Amino acid sequence: MFGIKNKPVAGIFLSFFFCFVGSGIAEEIPAQKLLERVDENLWANTKFVTGRLIIDNGRKVRTLTQDSWMEGTTRSYSHYKSPAREKGTKMLKIGGKLWMYTPRTDRKILIAGHLLRQSMLGSDLSYEDMMEDHKLSYSYSATFSTQSSEDFAGARILNLVARDKKTTYQTRKAWIDPEKQIVLKEERFAKSGKLLKRILFEDYEKIGTRLFPRTMVFRDMLKENTKTTYKFDVIEFDIEIPAKYFSQSILKR
Amino acid sequence: MNWNIANKNFYRQGLRAFLNVLVTALSIIALIFMLSLLNGFQAQATRNLVLTDVGGGHYRAPGFDILTPTEWEDITMPVPDVLGNLLAKDKAEVLVQQGQLYPNRRLFPVQLRGIAMDQSLLSLPLAGLKSFEDKPGETIPAVVGVKMARKAHLKKGDTVVLKWRDKGGAVDARDILIVDVGDIINPRIDDGVVWLRLDHLRSMTDRDGEVSWVAVREYLGPVQGFEFHGIEILMSDLLALLRQDRINSKILWGILMVLVCTSVFNTQILNIFKRQKEIGTLMALGMEPKRIVSIFTLEGVLGALWALVLAVVLGVPFFIWFHGVGFDVTHLSEASFPIRETIYPDYQPREILVSVSIVLALSIASAWVPVRKVTRLDPTLALRGRAIT
Repeated sequence: MFGIKNKPVAGIFLSFFFCFVGSGIAEEIPAQKLLERVDENLWANTKFVTGRLIIDNGRKVRTLTQDSWMEGTTRSYSHYKSPAREKGTKMLKIGGKLWMYTPRTDRKILIAGHLLRQSMLGSDLSYEDMMEDHKLSYSYSATFSTQSSEDFAGARILNLVARDKKTTYQTRKAWIDPEKQIVLKEERFAKSGKLLKRILFEDYEKIGTRLFPRTMVFRDMLKENTKTTYKFDVIEFDIEIPAKYFSQSILKR
Repeated sequence: MNWNIANKNFYRQGLRAFLNVLVTALSIIALIFMLSLLNGFQAQATRNLVLTDVGGGHYRAPGFDILTPTEWEDITMPVPDVLGNLLAKDKAEVLVQQGQLYPNRRLFPVQLRGIAMDQSLLSLPLAGLKSFEDKPGETIPAVVGVKMARKAHLKKGDTVVLKWRDKGGAVDARDILIVDVGDIINPRIDDGVVWLRLDHLRSMTDRDGEVSWVAVREYLGPVQGFEFHGIEILMSDLLALLRQDRINSKILWGILMVLVCTSVFNTQILNIFKRQKEIGTLMALGMEPKRIVSIFTLEGVLGALWALVLAVVLGVPFFIWFHGVGFDVTHLSEASFPIRETIYPDYQPREILVSVSIVLALSIASAWVPVRKVTRLDPTLALRGRAIT
């Protein structure tokens, strides 16, 4: 299009192009700020969820139904209602500790240390994944990726690098819709850069002032043909949660 | 005189005497075989453990327990100078961590065991790891045992994903290359174990200079910050099992002895019953009852001695043959016994001597007890064959 003789014209054109693009980036919300807004959208002071955990291990699909109550990022209580095998199982998270109660044994056990890394009820989530109690914007520094999003038109990809060496996943990538300020997809990586987990956030719906995904699909990328789908049937934000829900005394029949 | 009479009487018994001798001889052979096989099992299990894992004992990080995998990552320590300065032939530094292998993209929890490449204290088929650099590259070389390879469907040259945690708890994963499938004679360090270079595992987990234990050739006295676990502690489960086995073998041995004693006792009872006219005649001719008892007891002694001779005639060729072919116990390795090959009996002369002496003593006692009643016999009734009915 531009020959050698048109070099000055091409230079002017490119200058204008970069000028506009540059001003676009300058006006854009910074990556870290964008991540904070995503967090603000997802996290609420209190939250109640009735949902289904659909665990597909490649050979068999199991569906667990549960009610969960969450307060901030540190306290949550889940009660499993079905199937019969898991019915009555309760999980209580307070800070960095997770207790599990199973009616079959009529005992509560503290899931701590390395047990937290085990698969939760045979799903693609570990107890640790489930317990994640920090907002991403708190644990990670975000920068925009130069990679373009092929899956989601208009989405920006954030490269997240852990601020602490003790953070489980040292790097993550998050596909963010910059307009709606919601996360569409997340990938979690090993220190070496190997992809370990992929999470898709689907079926966003306006609930109160928030956009919240009705479906989250977790995949352990090291396993074959497995996925865990978390479907939220009822979501309520900023509700009053009785104090007893976050007490160990609730871990009984 | 007594000996001649006893000798003649013994041979006159014919088949009955022979059967007694045969039963006692077979019992002696079975007893020696059982004890020697147990000895052989213990000796080989101990040798395998010492050669491949235990050495002369472990200096372990305090609290480390191989049966508590969830705590392996929390219990590692830098090697103290007193152990670090030992020659490579006198120590083996070992770091144990948890890992997750994904053969065919299926989860397989494993024990990652890093061992110093220059050590020569333990005999392990890890030569395939020696040629690699001390820093792991994109792909980490590893060796697995035959059993592990079979269970995880791995073979030499395969690449498989390994996931682990570093010291801080951050998750890491990389491909490992199976550079060799080693023939490890101790299934305890084969099943579920992935062998790595110690420097690689340290680098992977950010544990520079740290170990879970240092295996040493011999006890060096107390080492600050480390606990010494001797062979007896490290093999305590196996030794307890063998102790139980010896108790079980004693029960079996007791049953055999009851059979032998019953056989001898029964024969003697029959002898007295059938030969009461002979006893009556001897008594009528003036022979003292005590002498008659000694003649009958001598018959028992003769039976025991012939049993010993027969045991030697039948047993020695059998033991020599068996020592050559051994006893195939490959099935035991499936149950994690530290034995994967054929076991050979270990004959202990002192043990054989004691055991044989006990058998002979019991046999002679069984011959003596029933004839004591001869001293109470009425000679006139005995002559008419009516003293014992």
